[in-house]
Amino acid sequence: MRRYWRLIGIFAASSISAQLEYRANFVVNVVGSLLTALGSLFGLSILLGTGSSLGGWNQLEAIVVVGVFTLVEGFMGVFLYPNLNKIAESVRTGSMDFTLLKPLDAQFLVSFRNIGILRVTDLLIGLGMIVYATAHLGSSSASGVLTAALLIVAGFASVYAIWLMLCTTAFWWIGVENITELFWGFFRAGQFPVTAFPGWGRILFTFVIPVAFITTVPAEALVGRVEIGAVFGALGVSLLLIVISRVFWRFALRGYTSASS
Amino acid sequence: MIEVTGLEKHYTVAEKEPGLSGSIRSFFSRKSKTVKAVDGVSFSIASGEMVGFLGANGAGKTTTLKMLSGLLHPTAGTATVAGFTPFERRASFLKTITLVMGQKQQLLWDLPALDSFQVNRAIYEISDADYAATMLEFTELLDLEGILKKQVRKLSLGERMKCELAAALLHRPKVLFLDEPTIGLDVNMQVRIREFVAAYNARFNATVILTSHYMADVTALCKRIIVVDKGRIIFDGDLSALIEQSSPAKIVKLQLESSVSREHLETYAPVQRLDGLFAELLVPRAETSRVSGRLLSELPVADVTIEDPDIEEIIGQLFQSQRVQPLPTLESVTQ
Repeated sequence: MRRYWRLIGIFAASSISAQLEYRANFVVNVVGSLLTALGSLFGLSILLGTGSSLGGWNQLEAIVVVGVFTLVEGFMGVFLYPNLNKIAESVRTGSMDFTLLKPLDAQFLVSFRNIGILRVTDLLIGLGMIVYATAHLGSSSASGVLTAALLIVAGFASVYAIWLMLCTTAFWWIGVENITELFWGFFRAGQFPVTAFPGWGRILFTFVIPVAFITTVPAEALVGRVEIGAVFGALGVSLLLIVISRVFWRFALRGYTSASS
Repeated sequence: MIEVTGLEKHYTVAEKEPGLSGSIRSFFSRKSKTVKAVDGVSFSIASGEMVGFLGANGAGKTTTLKMLSGLLHPTAGTATVAGFTPFERRASFLKTITLVMGQKQQLLWDLPALDSFQVNRAIYEISDADYAATMLEFTELLDLEGILKKQVRKLSLGERMKCELAAALLHRPKVLFLDEPTIGLDVNMQVRIREFVAAYNARFNATVILTSHYMADVTALCKRIIVVDKGRIIFDGDLSALIEQSSPAKIVKLQLESSVSREHLETYAPVQRLDGLFAELLVPRAETSRVSGRLLSELPVADVTIEDPDIEEIIGQLFQSQRVQPLPTLESVTQ
């Protein structure tokens, strides 16, 4: 286990150095991230300026949901995009062979090899929004915050598992670089509390694509109104997804015939 | 070290008619057919042996190497490498082998090769002492001084290949699968890479399977060759035996000081070519030294060279004449 943590550190260091190679790109990305954050805060201020409530959530509570959403978005940008979205490319070019030749779990290697350091700003902005809103709400307890932290980690795991399964299809369907857009389309719904949707939407985003467990439920824990059933639901879903994605990955690997040269 | 019995690999490949209409048709219904990339291959390679794998493009060389390194499951047959079954891909197996593919690269494009080495060092759990010793050795053998700290994207093809080799051998594998390691390199660099492989083999008693389009790679490194065609082995044995069997004569090239008639030359050996003062004689292998001795003492010879016939020609003949039949081995002659 310690070995794996050490490897993540080494991978991150080399990945960050590679990104620092292109100074202009680095600066452009940092500026871009800040502008995006400003834009979403501006949009939020319009939404909240009316003083209405959104599916039973008041303004500050809604900011918590957006904060969790932004945090998960940051997680995707930092950890998922630069790694899992490369699976399709490396299957196509055959460089997946080098990954499979390493005496390490291949899933670990494809999952942690890179880090999108430029998107760390999203993580910070999401965290900032959560801290700001919960502090002003004053309704969250220590146990609520701990539960929320656990649920956010579970949410990351769920997103990772879904993402991995989508990217793993590249072993059969070569050239599916953009397949994660499928999930992204649905995930955007996660920036609103799930209760804001009509009945069918709530069912869809809870049981079919578990977006509710990823953003709404952790936010509920933060504002201190989560139900214990939802907590276990979120944890169970994430565990189940992780297991299924692992099985799926191994199945895909068995069927993998590398691009012959 | 390597045992292969009846190894087979069949691929299903999609077929497409040319042009846009073909593409549209194939988008909706893919036609496919099974290709036997490797079709019943058996051989055995001893520890420390260097074997050349020859064959045209698509003959099944790379597919065989991929099965031996655990990247592909065989459709049928068995393979054992260093006591492991490759496709189980155990960590201890992967630490004893390496696969170098001349057309693909594993080095991090934007970083100096040293950064890639550090990553591999961590992945393979190479101790500090071993790493330092290996680096020292490789730096000298491959002349890496000065190129390790340059970004890989700024290296020449040859420099990059040297770094690729070093990265692939950092963990000192006992079994090397080298797939076209010299492709696209100039002659000097080819020689350099060859010398390195030979030195590595001698130093670590490593087993090497080498495929190459350049016959010189194979003749310089490998005593034994395996020739594959259409997924089958058509020759497996000594390179020199192959040369002896398919062309029992050596070529003696004479540079004469004054002209000698063709008839007179024919009394020594069959004349392949006579062009003014230059002559080529086909001398039976066993008589090479006796005949050339006589030539030197009896004729006005300015210079003499004795050569084997061009190996590429021999292999070419092999492809044409011996498609499936392996060459008779020496034992069968005595029957």
